[in-house]
Amino acid sequence: MHVLVLLVQILVLFAVVMLHVAYATYFERKIIGHMQVRMGPMRVGWHGLLQPIADGIKSFFKEDIIPEQADRPIFLAAPIICLVAMLTSLAVLPFAPGWVLADINIGLIFILAMSSLSSYGVILAGWASNSKYTFLGGLRSMAQVISYEIAMGLSLVGVMMLSGTLNLSRIVEAQGPSFTGMYLFPQIIAFFVFCVAMLAETNRVPFDLPEAETELVSGYATEYSGMRYAMFFMAEYIGMMVMSAIGTVCFLGGWNGPFTVPGVPFFWFVLKIYIFLFVFIWIRATLPRYRYDQLMELGWKLLIPLALANIALTGIARAIFG
Amino acid sequence: MLMLLFFCYCAVVIIGTGLLAVTLRNPVHSVLMVLILFFHMAMLYLSLGAEFLAAVQIIVYAGAILVLYLFVLFLVSLKDEVRLPRFVSSAWLGRLIAGGLAACLLYILPVFTTGARGNWPADRVREITPTRALATEMYSASVLPFEIAGLILLVAVIGGLLLARRDKEER
Amino acid sequence: MFVKYKPKRNLLQTILHTEILQGMALTLRRLFSRPITRQYPDEEIPVAAGFRGQHALVRDPETGGSRCIACMRCATVCPSRCIHIRFHEDGGGRVVDSYDIEALRCVYCGYCEEVCPVNALVLTEIFEYAAYGREPFHFSREDLLANWDRFVTERNIDPDTYVNPFWRPRGMPRERLPAGKRLEVPADWTLEGQVVGAGYREGSD
Repeated sequence: MHVLVLLVQILVLFAVVMLHVAYATYFERKIIGHMQVRMGPMRVGWHGLLQPIADGIKSFFKEDIIPEQADRPIFLAAPIICLVAMLTSLAVLPFAPGWVLADINIGLIFILAMSSLSSYGVILAGWASNSKYTFLGGLRSMAQVISYEIAMGLSLVGVMMLSGTLNLSRIVEAQGPSFTGMYLFPQIIAFFVFCVAMLAETNRVPFDLPEAETELVSGYATEYSGMRYAMFFMAEYIGMMVMSAIGTVCFLGGWNGPFTVPGVPFFWFVLKIYIFLFVFIWIRATLPRYRYDQLMELGWKLLIPLALANIALTGIARAIFG
Repeated sequence: MLMLLFFCYCAVVIIGTGLLAVTLRNPVHSVLMVLILFFHMAMLYLSLGAEFLAAVQIIVYAGAILVLYLFVLFLVSLKDEVRLPRFVSSAWLGRLIAGGLAACLLYILPVFTTGARGNWPADRVREITPTRALATEMYSASVLPFEIAGLILLVAVIGGLLLARRDKEER
Repeated sequence: MFVKYKPKRNLLQTILHTEILQGMALTLRRLFSRPITRQYPDEEIPVAAGFRGQHALVRDPETGGSRCIACMRCATVCPSRCIHIRFHEDGGGRVVDSYDIEALRCVYCGYCEEVCPVNALVLTEIFEYAAYGREPFHFSREDLLANWDRFVTERNIDPDTYVNPFWRPRGMPRERLPAGKRLEVPADWTLEGQVVGAGYREGSD
């Protein structure tokens, strides 16, 4: 019985997240369009609202091309690894008090573990496609991800120190309901490092060299078509949402808000995720792309020392002020 | 019952992927088998209640170390199988040594008895979370080995730096 | 040449990322401005008078056919050689047997409509004549007359009084033009910036 309820919850969460992913692509196109003084999709449905459905149907019906010399088992498995790892991270996110699928005591590092697994899908896709562009794209993406993973993990250590637990629900509870209790204020350096690392982990502008269209013809996903390409795409957007969720849980106070909206307990959590996604899209419309060596230099020489300094400062502050 | 089935599944997969990892032709496939192996080891740790260890196993082993193995594989393109001189002269002597090692391992297996032992019995660990238990033990009783391990890693980092530096000077 | 470089960023600007924030403020301002997209099938695109679009032969109101006298000036002046005319002499005058324009070769320069002495050819303002294949773009005389009919109905033209701005060649005095070409110059077509030929005389229009 309990298993049945859990299954229904999983299905509902899956459906809601897939819908969000589809409409995240729609809103990205619309918002970037308006920021570039043009309209985004306008033809399909009223103001283009049915565009993601049209895209989904198109991906479904496209011919499935597998290169001849490609390593078939790895080629087929790579998008699945990417997508499954990202989807699993959704299980530990606390949308509202008590609304967690799996309230585990290691929630934070579980998500870090899953994001390292999803980057496997990228490099395997790059290798298995047996093409120069994809291989380079996969290698670059993998190196970028493991570099910025360190920075991200270190930036979250400050939050772990302040809250004393790795359980995501308890981190939210430790921040308290007030606005000034958010870990954003004492951990502003960590928040900055986390935001930059978040952009790099999800391969978004300005760190999207591995999938830049002008450089590498869509990078590691070049040889994929139809539904498999859609799976990579979905994995990227779900990664964005999971990272935004971690950002809101650790730094912005999770489900807390000034007033509780009756009947919609997850209102503030989802609103904060939307704000993060808007900032993602805003940055994409504004910034150019980092060159690869600038990218690596930023990750290793700037972010990791900053995160370590933040840990030291937090430790000292905690030791002095108790 | 469920836990027994789970353990049997994990054990079978670990042994199977371990054997596949050393027998497959394609080295990338071997590395993927090792990835599956690490994943199932993490699941075993979870079933024992060592959740922090499971997560760290995936982050560090599967997520970082194995990736660097993959990098080395990709960047060093092996055209043919590398033929090295044998370590032990005859094959049957090698098999004898391996069999003897396996026998020794099986002989000491009965030493692992279940039940509470030492400072940290299972329910005490579960009371304060395993993370906190590990941290308390590591930073109070075993802080000296921890620092020595850190220094050893520092030596490795400096060695890597030195190698890279020397390449640049040679150019 | 004195080059003014931007002052190097100081530490505070680096920490606070002032330039990135300025860029993001610009994008945010643009988010709330009106988009300049013109949604084509629903909104009409304004074309200037004299826009060089689809070719058409003007229907003479009396005869119902074209005014063409087969002087061959348009075929001669066309830089792409896309106008093909066949005629025969018949009792002192010329009769046009066939008049073909290969629109795919045409560069839409407008010389043909400028040079025609009886203003028989016009490049209309119609630009929506796409087709699947090459055959529909080989306009014969009947096709060109049908194009004129389409132009008249689509753009609400009065066929008796229609004057295309390109029918009046610029830069030559009125006396030196053939009779059909001595048309009034439109008021907004001044000579400033226009390229004129070697025959230009001061005071001519």
